Amino acid sequence: MIKKVLIANRGEIAVRIIRACREMGIETVAVYSQADREALHTKLADEAICIGPPPSSESYLSMERIISATVVTQADAIHPGFGFLSENSKFAELCQQCNITFIGPDAQVIAKLGNKQEARNTMVSAGVPVIPGSKDAIYDAQTGAQIAREIGYPVIIKAALGGGGKGMRVAETEEEFEQSFQMAQKETQMAFGDNTMYIEHYVQHPRHIEFQILADQYGNIIHLGERDCSIQRNHQKMIEESPSIALSEELRQEMGQTAVRAARAAGYVNAGTIEFLLENSGKYYFMEMNTRIQVEHPVTEWVTGIDLIKEQIRIASGKKLSYRQEDVHLTGHAIECRINAENPSQNFRPSPGTITDMYLPGGKGIRIDSAIYSGYTIPPYYDSMAAKLIVWAKNRGEAVRKMQSALGEVIIEGIDTNVDYQYEILNHPDYLSGNIDVEFIENMQQQLERGQMA
Amino acid sequence: MKLDNVFKKTRLPKRRSAASADAAKPEVPEGLVRKCNMCKGAIIAEDVRDGLYICPKCGGYFRIHAYRRIEMIADEGTFEEWDRGLATKNPLKFRGYEEKLAALQEKTGLSEAVVTGKVQIEGIDAVLGVCDGRFLMASMGEVVGEKITRAVERATRENLPLIIFTCSGGARMQEGIVSLMQMAKTSAALKRHSDAGLLYITVLTDPTTGGVTASFAMLGDVILAEPKALIGFAGPRVIGQTIGQKLPKGFQRSEFLLEHGFIDGIVERPQMKETLGRLLKLHRDSQKESKTADGTSGFSAEGQSQEAETRHKQSIGGQRPQRMENASAWERVLASRKKGRPVGSDYIEALFTDFVEMHGDRYFADNQAIIGGIARFHGIPVTVIAQAKGSDTKENIQRNFGMPSPDGYRKSLRLMKQAEKFHRPVICFVDTPGAFCGVEAEERGQGEAIARNIYEMSALKVPILSIVIGEGGSGGALAMAVADQVWMLENSIYSILSPEGFASILWKDSKKAQEAAEVMKLTAEDLYRQGIVERVLPEPEDYTVENMEAVTDLLEEQMEEFLAQYGDMDGDQLAQHRYDRFRDM
Repeated sequence: MIKKVLIANRGEIAVRIIRACREMGIETVAVYSQADREALHTKLADEAICIGPPPSSESYLSMERIISATVVTQADAIHPGFGFLSENSKFAELCQQCNITFIGPDAQVIAKLGNKQEARNTMVSAGVPVIPGSKDAIYDAQTGAQIAREIGYPVIIKAALGGGGKGMRVAETEEEFEQSFQMAQKETQMAFGDNTMYIEHYVQHPRHIEFQILADQYGNIIHLGERDCSIQRNHQKMIEESPSIALSEELRQEMGQTAVRAARAAGYVNAGTIEFLLENSGKYYFMEMNTRIQVEHPVTEWVTGIDLIKEQIRIASGKKLSYRQEDVHLTGHAIECRINAENPSQNFRPSPGTITDMYLPGGKGIRIDSAIYSGYTIPPYYDSMAAKLIVWAKNRGEAVRKMQSALGEVIIEGIDTNVDYQYEILNHPDYLSGNIDVEFIENMQQQLERGQMA
Repeated sequence: MKLDNVFKKTRLPKRRSAASADAAKPEVPEGLVRKCNMCKGAIIAEDVRDGLYICPKCGGYFRIHAYRRIEMIADEGTFEEWDRGLATKNPLKFRGYEEKLAALQEKTGLSEAVVTGKVQIEGIDAVLGVCDGRFLMASMGEVVGEKITRAVERATRENLPLIIFTCSGGARMQEGIVSLMQMAKTSAALKRHSDAGLLYITVLTDPTTGGVTASFAMLGDVILAEPKALIGFAGPRVIGQTIGQKLPKGFQRSEFLLEHGFIDGIVERPQMKETLGRLLKLHRDSQKESKTADGTSGFSAEGQSQEAETRHKQSIGGQRPQRMENASAWERVLASRKKGRPVGSDYIEALFTDFVEMHGDRYFADNQAIIGGIARFHGIPVTVIAQAKGSDTKENIQRNFGMPSPDGYRKSLRLMKQAEKFHRPVICFVDTPGAFCGVEAEERGQGEAIARNIYEMSALKVPILSIVIGEGGSGGALAMAVADQVWMLENSIYSILSPEGFASILWKDSKKAQEAAEVMKLTAEDLYRQGIVERVLPEPEDYTVENMEAVTDLLEEQMEEFLAQYGDMDGDQLAQHRYDRFRDM
């Protein structure tokens, strides 16, 4: 059994892990950069070790320093949290070589799922639906049109070397295809000096639906239902909830079983998440598998009653899962809002600085995961997430009202936050009715700019 | 709010303390992590191996074992080792030497401190020698000298280019005077290799000192170095102790040597193979060029000079409307100096491909007012040398406004002599207000440097074309214009002195420069009429990099004709032609 865990992370997730360990009677070691001397995780852990200067490349991303800290403190396991080294297969391998338990899947599994092509191949052979697309590079519109017909419209034409939306075009119909292809290819040639194109099915107005799974070392794999993370800005999630109102019980079971199949195909052990895009039609496609605990794990915890961090530690200790699939039921509705130190009116510019005063809500059905306190200075070196506000109620309507109420109580002085912006989302008619997809924020932003919202 | 020591820590259950001994403890296995001896940081050994032995933290270079180096440079599976078992004798009967050698052979698996053999690099055959510092700091004793000499001799016999990666503490003390003689032995073999017209490249790696620096390391036609390598004759500690002074930072490092003109360039490890391959190809192609059996070159000989003459007249007659016609000499002087006018480096970029810049005069400095190197013109290797003004003030300061120091002329001469050795035509771009006028320039022999260039160029056995693209200021310009043909851009000038200088000498008034310009006959048209230059190239009225194509298209065409015409002449013919050209002036 693990007796001492080093947490190779910072912020609220480090605090979350320290708390779980403490409840389990496991000692904790925090690592911190010179910018994090006063951080909550540093103060809260049983031991704390400084691992370098503020830039994460020299501290939270420095494998050698974190391994050294583990050896020095004789911790027997490392919890990587999310971000930083959490999905670095080399780090997981190093841990193994140094006789340290890495709380997460095996290095080879991380490497396999981190490689887009390999992950896709694994999923295809496990019968997990992926976005249909061209297998080979396409250089001319005729070949492209033929493949597009096989894939089914609408299709998106992409540059092989693409990035930043350059050389990307959507063709809704066959009539549009030739022109779109040629424009995309021309743009690609200009931007990358190459004319290699790919085509795939264009997933329209999808929701981001992800399934939490747990897998032990004995081949037991269960899913803990879904999270709807469609409220996102530039692929940064802002609000997550469970369950999703877009899923019937039937679809939930089907997607859940698909997720379990995906995890099994990958040889997965520990907690993981399979991300899907879900179309209005009910068709869904595998996007990627995250091989770590996720920011939004509390919503799943609340509707299932399962403590995911503790399960992660138990699995890493070689224990069997404490739950079977039939023990898992989604009860009520949970929503999480990420509270970030940023200014939405200035294009969400990060707003580090000292919190001069603060008040956070509480009461029945309200949970706060954060690492901030009054007088704490948010350093400018890391991401801007300051706190997570999670609510639970017996149905979505009540949960939304609880979140509105709770957001209305949040006071954080001294820095800019996105609390008011979140409040706007929570009052948007489309959000209230659950009519959301991944373009929600973009649309709302446009409405705000046109002054169409109160 | 201060949070120090306010939180309660994890309370451990009682049973814990007794049980903790059995579990496997975390520990870092031997060899997984190593310490960088440059930045002192802990680094993962595998990252170093996978990353060409460069510290992932500080970017410093670790020394590399000979066989690993060969793997990094040679095409896979092409290395054929020579003289592997060559055994060391103990000429001085030095006590303990044989035991030491035996122990090192056991430890390193090497028989001696250098590995030699034949490889292919990017498909080209070459002889390769690599020193290995693990073996008595790759000091040169009899066997090292012998292996290198044999490799050089065989390269000469087999007509192969030679590359040596050096690394050495110097001559091997244990073998005394015999070691010293290896310097002469290796150098003598290299002289024969060079006299056979073959290419020798050295790559200096950390550390290259003593008798190796003073022999085969510094004798390359092209001398490259890895970044920050220690390179010198006497070691820094010895120098420091002898003169009792603290040595400047960066003393005797590659960058210091580059600045002082002793190496052609610093090449990073990831680019080493490609750079060597490119140099080998450039030299192979020009060798082939010189050896075509029927004496014809690869240039098409179609461009008849008469035809070119007609075209020249057409072009000067003005098919391009927006030229500066009927401009005064002074206006042309101003145009030749105008800010924004294309400079030497612009022509190199526009007219050539594969340019590899070579640095340094091998005596004192790398003068930035002259850029030189090897490149291809229409696929054919040529040596390009340009007097280089800057394209902005900052670059102009760095390039001393195109006024070369003696080191610049010596660099250009070095490159011309190399062009001669490898049968490459030389293309010079002239653009200087004059040779640099200053105390240091005189101390190092500005006059001698110019004279030497004029003298050597007059009989160089490869074609030379000089193109005046801006200012052709006096002897400083002539030192790069003793050519088979000299061409001028329409608004370039070429004169005995600047108009300002002319006015101040003759009329004691530099303000009469404008007047001077008119009487000096310094415009391209004037000089063409006097028969000083062969060709005048029209240029747009407001001539900049943007509309440069108007000039370079024509230039390209005429250069092709020039090379076709002169490329077929043998060395003596060329020298005679050049002699006659100036004999008549």
